[in-house]
Amino acid sequence: MALKQLPIVPSGDPGGLAESANAGVQRINRPVISDATKIDPIVILFCPDGAISLDESGFVISYKFCKGCGICAKESEGIVMVPEYTGPKGIF
Amino acid sequence: MNKVLITGSEAAALGAKLAKIEVLSYYPITPAFPAMERLSKYIDDGELNCKFIRAESDHSALAAVLGGSLAGARSYTVTNSQGLLLMTEVVYHVAGLRQPIVMGVANRALSAPHSRFPEHGDVVSQSASGWIQLFCENNQDILDNTIQAFRIAEELRVPVMVNYEGYLQSHTLEEVFVPEQSKVDAFLPLKRQPALDINNPRGVNTVTSPDFYPYYKFNQNEAMLESLNLIPKVAAEYNQEFGANSCGLIECYQMEDAEHAIVAMGSIVGTARILVDNLRKEGRKIGLIKVKVWRPFPVKAILEALQNVSFVTVLDKNIVFGVGGALATDLKAAAYGRGEMVINGAILGLGGGKCGVEEINAAVMETESAGSDKNKSVWIGL
Repeated sequence: MALKQLPIVPSGDPGGLAESANAGVQRINRPVISDATKIDPIVILFCPDGAISLDESGFVISYKFCKGCGICAKESEGIVMVPEYTGPKGIF
Repeated sequence: MNKVLITGSEAAALGAKLAKIEVLSYYPITPAFPAMERLSKYIDDGELNCKFIRAESDHSALAAVLGGSLAGARSYTVTNSQGLLLMTEVVYHVAGLRQPIVMGVANRALSAPHSRFPEHGDVVSQSASGWIQLFCENNQDILDNTIQAFRIAEELRVPVMVNYEGYLQSHTLEEVFVPEQSKVDAFLPLKRQPALDINNPRGVNTVTSPDFYPYYKFNQNEAMLESLNLIPKVAAEYNQEFGANSCGLIECYQMEDAEHAIVAMGSIVGTARILVDNLRKEGRKIGLIKVKVWRPFPVKAILEALQNVSFVTVLDKNIVFGVGGALATDLKAAAYGRGEMVINGAILGLGGGKCGVEEINAAVMETESAGSDKNKSVWIGL
């Protein structure tokens, strides 16, 4: 059997809960920008720190910090929720 | 080697002191309390350089000890019964986080109804927790096992419980040989393995997906199984260094030609030796197996010892309701497929019930007359 190389103490990098090797994905759905021009900037205030930011290229979602709550997609146009897991049903 | 007259609690405290523990946290509970009292005095007298964290509950006490261990300090605590149950959540954290914490448990019966008396029910409730569990026959065992526990825990990164019974051991004076500090220092070199580092911050106990969780559990189980190889080696080295007589996984007494074996753990072993001697004088081919290590269960060692035995009486000072005694249940599972050997369990000494030679004799007789009904537990002293 091939064993995954894991630290002896179950631990993760700071801020790396969602995507570090030790944590896996907590979200069921992930937000994806469909039309950046329609995004209401209020989502920057509402989301967890660092989950969405605005730089020269426009809005950027960090999947490291986004918890996948879906409020952004509900409150603003230009964002849609896409399932993280597309395998057999019944697992989540 | 120095010879002293001390209680089991003092032996536990002395073991922790000789191991030079660095972090200690505790919440008062009887009968574990005197061990902590003694450790506090060592600290107050300047004999032990240790951070003592007073906690508001047993749950917090083990959590504080866990924090100390994650920072790389040699950490220790003591509890029993209800306190152990309150700790349970952190007991599992400690094992899953692979922290080499040693805990003395002054075994006491569980509520309800409320009891303050010795029994193994409290630690039996933690049988699946991933802690190594050592049982002590006498106060010498408590001291020896506590020192060895740190070595085992730190080498494998698996926490260890050192079980001794409330009052029967915790409050009873016995002669104990105390090893020299300098030799203990050499036997127990401090191997710091901090999981926390302020220069490289990480989060422990992070949410883990099904992709990884089973691997952590597999590794934990492997470390537990590895302890079956390590514990006898540590005991042999300990005996050599200190001229002690500490057994490895189990100890066989009068087992050379035995056809009938008593299997037991804890304080009852000492009394069972007397019964075995008495029955031997009557010509009975009876022997005794003392189980020092209950978790992990030393299947191979016990089955080897039982090779020529046709009947086994298991003494359990605990009851798993609807199943039977925990030790008897483990032994039956271990002996699955091993032919004609009959294993009958006796439940005795619950909630401090008497476990004298008479009671153990009754257990031997009544398990014999129960025949080969393997699902039956005989209750002694009702």
